[in-house]
Amino acid sequence: MNRASAERARGMTIRRRLLLILIGPLALLLAIGVVLDYAAGVVPLRAAFDQALINETVAAAAQLRARSGGTVEFDLPPQAIEMLRADKYDTVYYLVLGPHDEYVAGDQGLPSAAPDHENPTFLDAQFKGSAIRGVTYRHATPAGVVTITVAETTNKRDQAWHRLLISILLTDTLQFAAILLLIWVGVRLGLRPLIALRAQIDSRSAQELAPLDETRVPGEVLPLTQALNRLFATVRSNAQGQQQFLANAAHQLRTPLAGLQTQLELLRHDTDAVAVRERLIGLLEGTRRLSHTANQLLALARAEPTATAAADFGDVDLRELAEEAVAKHFDRALRQHIDLGVEAARARTRGSAWLLREMLANLVDNALAYTPVDGRVTVRCGVTADASAQSYVEVEDDGPGIPPDQRARVTARFYRPPGTSGDGCGLGLAIVDEIVRGHHAALDIGSGANDRGTRVRVTFPAA
Amino acid sequence: MRILIIEDDALVADGMRRGLSQVGFAVDHVPSAELAEAALQQENFDLLLVDLGLPGVDGFELVRRLRRGGKSTPVLIVTARDALADRVGALDLGADDYLVKPFALPELAARCRALIRRSKSNSDSGITIGPLHLDIPRRETRVQSRAVDLTRREWAILECLALHAGQVVSKDRLQQAISSWDEGITTNAVEVYISRLRGKLGDDVAIRTVRGLGYRLDESVA
Repeated sequence: MNRASAERARGMTIRRRLLLILIGPLALLLAIGVVLDYAAGVVPLRAAFDQALINETVAAAAQLRARSGGTVEFDLPPQAIEMLRADKYDTVYYLVLGPHDEYVAGDQGLPSAAPDHENPTFLDAQFKGSAIRGVTYRHATPAGVVTITVAETTNKRDQAWHRLLISILLTDTLQFAAILLLIWVGVRLGLRPLIALRAQIDSRSAQELAPLDETRVPGEVLPLTQALNRLFATVRSNAQGQQQFLANAAHQLRTPLAGLQTQLELLRHDTDAVAVRERLIGLLEGTRRLSHTANQLLALARAEPTATAAADFGDVDLRELAEEAVAKHFDRALRQHIDLGVEAARARTRGSAWLLREMLANLVDNALAYTPVDGRVTVRCGVTADASAQSYVEVEDDGPGIPPDQRARVTARFYRPPGTSGDGCGLGLAIVDEIVRGHHAALDIGSGANDRGTRVRVTFPAA
Repeated sequence: MRILIIEDDALVADGMRRGLSQVGFAVDHVPSAELAEAALQQENFDLLLVDLGLPGVDGFELVRRLRRGGKSTPVLIVTARDALADRVGALDLGADDYLVKPFALPELAARCRALIRRSKSNSDSGITIGPLHLDIPRRETRVQSRAVDLTRREWAILECLALHAGQVVSKDRLQQAISSWDEGITTNAVEVYISRLRGKLGDDVAIRTVRGLGYRLDESVA
């Protein structure tokens, strides 16, 4: 597993996630703020510029002189006209039309606003190739209504809008950046206890399984730390169990090996044919026991749920397995004069066929080992009679049985009940137990019919 | 009956060679798949014992090549590898049986006999199990030199047991073996025929009852 890439995919979680989550909405808020601020700033600005235009128009209107005969004269001295036109940024145009819309003065062709219920009336238009904003004032004179239009190009206004927008954008962006920075720094400060916890975990060696210090851990993380500490405790006890197991396994493997080695060394110098034969029989027995132990140790390792691939699981015919187990052990039963048989009804479950085969082999093996001559061992399978209709397999013998106080302990690895003979290595029921747990099944060790012997039943979960 | 052992561990190979020779097989040994292929070009064998972990071409590849080349010689895999994938893989490739080391010699001999018998029963005319001999085309049965007269149903049951000697044969299967003549035969009838067979064959031939399952014709170990 590539840890670095996994860390990158998930990594820096809280801070980066918080930023990623907030950056979108914040940007949207910024955009809305800019639009609103701009709108709010533009209205008074425009009013101010428009008012200045009106003032100029009204001032110009004051210069009108009505003549007798219905004509009008625009009596504006050249300096005043210059004043009117003078503007740092914009070109100012004007046009005075008489009561009959006849030209009186100003720029020919300048458009006027159509008469409106408002006076003065504003207009936006094009004149001499540029956009203009103008105001038309209809002034009542004794000669009739005179129309005065004053207009200016929009440079000044455009510039003002531009500045307004820039200042708004600048302040809002600064705010936005400040918020992001605050989140970044704030989360960092808020996560300080977590980082400290990480450092505490990082600084540990892989073997160190002491619990983490929970005193300075914030409330939100406490469940996590507690879970970690529980995990450490489990791993610690597993590791101790593993050590214990290794010690036992070493003993189980080395003892017969030592026996074999000594016997073989003796054999080198033995010349007496009878003694050689006796030693050979011992050697054979020792080797047989050694291979049994090696097989059982391997079976145990394979039976551990972590070693079982889910892919091995499939639909298993328990009846077939029960019959197979009986057929396989039939010779041994014959030799021991034990009546080994099967009472199989239809029963299926989901599981690993080879693990369940291993389990049954161990159960039958145990039953044969502890059943005296002329005893009876029966392998059964079927479906429970109650509503749950769970599949089960069981092996029953009429041997001495397991005392109730021993039943909980017989599944421990290398455990051999006191007073047992035989050459078992005490792993059989441990293997069965591992396989049962891997199948989420239930193991029940009880007495056989009429409270005699042993009956080991494995009940599988309902389908 | 000739057996070729393909095994690179000299100690194991020697043990198998001696053990199988003692029970009457003619045994040859080669330490690699390449040499095995050469030997198979020259001579015929009744059974190959193949180790999976061979140097160079491994056991899987050897079996694959043999089967692809059309050789149907039975193959018994004898290996220390007992992972499920190895077993399934070997059998899928065309191996006939699988035995995990360490094994007991009688078990090895029994498997060898069973495999050879199974391959012979298709081609040869007879099956011999210890003192019992069945002449299949003539439907004649002998125990030692004594001819035994069997009815057709008794013969069918004995033939079925003999073809699977050493294995438990279920009552259902035996019932099927005789039901082609007689519709609606019961499993009780099978019990009756078995008991008659036991009487006719005598104590030298052991037909065992496996409670709840069926019957087994014992292979007496030579």
